[in-house]
Amino acid sequence: MQRSVFSLSLSPSVKRKLVNAGFQFTNDLLHLKPVQLSKEATLSQLEALEVLQAVRKEGGGGDAGASSSLTALDLLQKEQDLRRIVTFSSQLDAALGGGLPVGKTTEICGAPGVGKTQLCLQLAVDVQVPQCFGGIGGQVVYIDTEGSFLLQRVVDIATAAVQHCSLLVEDDEQRVAMTTFTVETILSNTFLVRCHDYVELLAELHLLPDFLSDHPRVRLLVIDSVAFPFRQHFEDLSQRTRLLNGLAQQLIAMATSHNMAVLMTNQMTTRLRGGQSQQVPALGETWGHAPTSRLLLHWAGSRRLAAIFKSPDHTGATVQYQITSEGFRDIDQSEQTHTVQSTASQRDTGH
Amino acid sequence: MNWDQLELHPRIIAAVRRAGLRSLPDVLSVSGPDLQRLTSLSGSDVQQLLTAAANACRRHPPITALELHRRSESGLRLGVGCPVLDQLLRGGLPVGGITELSGQSGAGKTQLALQICLSVQYPTQYGGLDSGAVYICTEDSFPIRRLQQLIRNQSLLRSDVPPTLISSLQFSDHVYVEHAADLDSLQVCLSRRVPLLLARGLVRLLVVDSLAALFRSEFQAADWLERTKQLITFSSTLRHLSLEFTTPVLCINQVTDVFSSDDSLSQLSSSVSPALGLVWANQVMVRLMMRRLQATVTHGDQSSALRRLEVVLAPHLAQGGRDLAVWREGVRGVMSS
Repeated sequence: MQRSVFSLSLSPSVKRKLVNAGFQFTNDLLHLKPVQLSKEATLSQLEALEVLQAVRKEGGGGDAGASSSLTALDLLQKEQDLRRIVTFSSQLDAALGGGLPVGKTTEICGAPGVGKTQLCLQLAVDVQVPQCFGGIGGQVVYIDTEGSFLLQRVVDIATAAVQHCSLLVEDDEQRVAMTTFTVETILSNTFLVRCHDYVELLAELHLLPDFLSDHPRVRLLVIDSVAFPFRQHFEDLSQRTRLLNGLAQQLIAMATSHNMAVLMTNQMTTRLRGGQSQQVPALGETWGHAPTSRLLLHWAGSRRLAAIFKSPDHTGATVQYQITSEGFRDIDQSEQTHTVQSTASQRDTGH
Repeated sequence: MNWDQLELHPRIIAAVRRAGLRSLPDVLSVSGPDLQRLTSLSGSDVQQLLTAAANACRRHPPITALELHRRSESGLRLGVGCPVLDQLLRGGLPVGGITELSGQSGAGKTQLALQICLSVQYPTQYGGLDSGAVYICTEDSFPIRRLQQLIRNQSLLRSDVPPTLISSLQFSDHVYVEHAADLDSLQVCLSRRVPLLLARGLVRLLVVDSLAALFRSEFQAADWLERTKQLITFSSTLRHLSLEFTTPVLCINQVTDVFSSDDSLSQLSSSVSPALGLVWANQVMVRLMMRRLQATVTHGDQSSALRRLEVVLAPHLAQGGRDLAVWREGVRGVMSS
């Protein structure tokens, strides 16, 4: 397969010089030495060396991740190897296809107080559940931009999770695992970053790949919330869109290369359309393409509902949940049947 | 921006200067290839530049929650001066973030705010922060007589604190009162005087009573875009002050009537919701609501209308509420029988 030199990550001026010298595809460059290339394309030695390094690294086709072409079957197997992070709410797990997907990006939108941060904190604990209990035994990086990461609450949720698992112990392996699954280890496996504005967030995300290489067990990155730093101090909305697009790409690249789930939260905003106001996720239309799946948390009367409204592999589903002192949970069985019916009718009439 | 502070090759710094980049945010807001084009540096140089810029912007590397847990500051709360209400709030107001207290007029919002202005002055073992308070009034003049009355009766309210300690505290010397009649003066107050007081350690509580009054009077319905912008600016200033100085910020808010019966965003059963809408609600960390109930309670020779304080949203609190009453000595929770 031939790859155009324009697809390499090089500076535009270098690419132009290459094309002017007649180098159209990466194959044309493979056999060259830096000195020859610099002479032929009037590049400096250093530039020529960088071109050749880029060609060799990125190879004849595709990025580093896909350097050897994969068949769809391989991909399917690879995806099945990726475990999912259970949410402790069996209904939401079912709706998500077994939990939060690792290697993908997921966004949670919702009004203030509906439980976005609660779900984030719950998943930050859940990702650490040992493998013998059906978890993935990972670590978590939690980027807090709103200042809503309150330790008191993390301790509550962690205590409940440890207690839940200790009740499930059946064999020796699980007994051994429980000795290292304590509130203290949960806290020590949670890496917290506080960012006060978008510059700090961009800086942190730039440095994160190095951190992730040092901590290969990180399986979840939480950003609570993406919207907050990007909804203030922006006069130039096109710059904001550009930055958000760059951010989305960075997150997707990190999710795939480091094999982790990326979870971010978004605020809601009011949109006026034809005299009617409507609640929609903030940050605009373009940002909506960024996450792989989107989860909308909303109120219906006094009930809390979670609706999946963007997902590549599941049809939209709505489930009811509750926030208890232990964390994010299913509602009690008796109320459930009633809910599913009423939400179904609500979705029909809602639009 | 002084680029020489970055640990970079002088060649890279010279190129950055030549490209006319003025600040670190400028560097970080430009994508890698664009930066290459602007500075005509090589790819690896640009990577070095970005890493150095990112390091300079970062306040501290990621810390584990356990380290945070071991620091003394982490679980710090500002007690409100009543064990029943402190129990509802799990210790009191959080020190980083905006706490909103909303309610109809006469619900007792200002009463509670005044009491917190005094409770902040106690040492930490009695739920205070050992510092003063700044109180920004926008609606009425500051209720100074009521504050004096509360101070005189502190020993009645705080029976948990030794009387000698209470008499040694000069309460009224540590409540700084600011009047802001319009948004401009509020802006001046929040950007100059309040940071100065906070930086000198004279105060560790900021009360705004109330933001809604200014925003509801100064803007016409058609100016909603401008109002939203201003509201975001003010609320982010408040948040910034709160996080920068680990200071609790208490904002008193008015309420607005809700007419629509099918409001999917509000879980409140009552017919009012806090004013200023979704833009403001997104900035609030803890939202409390006070309302006046029908019943009255008596206590000695005094009687008071029963009120209820409810947690509407908070990342660390369960939904719930406590009944309370306003007495001569202050606000106290009423244990429901």
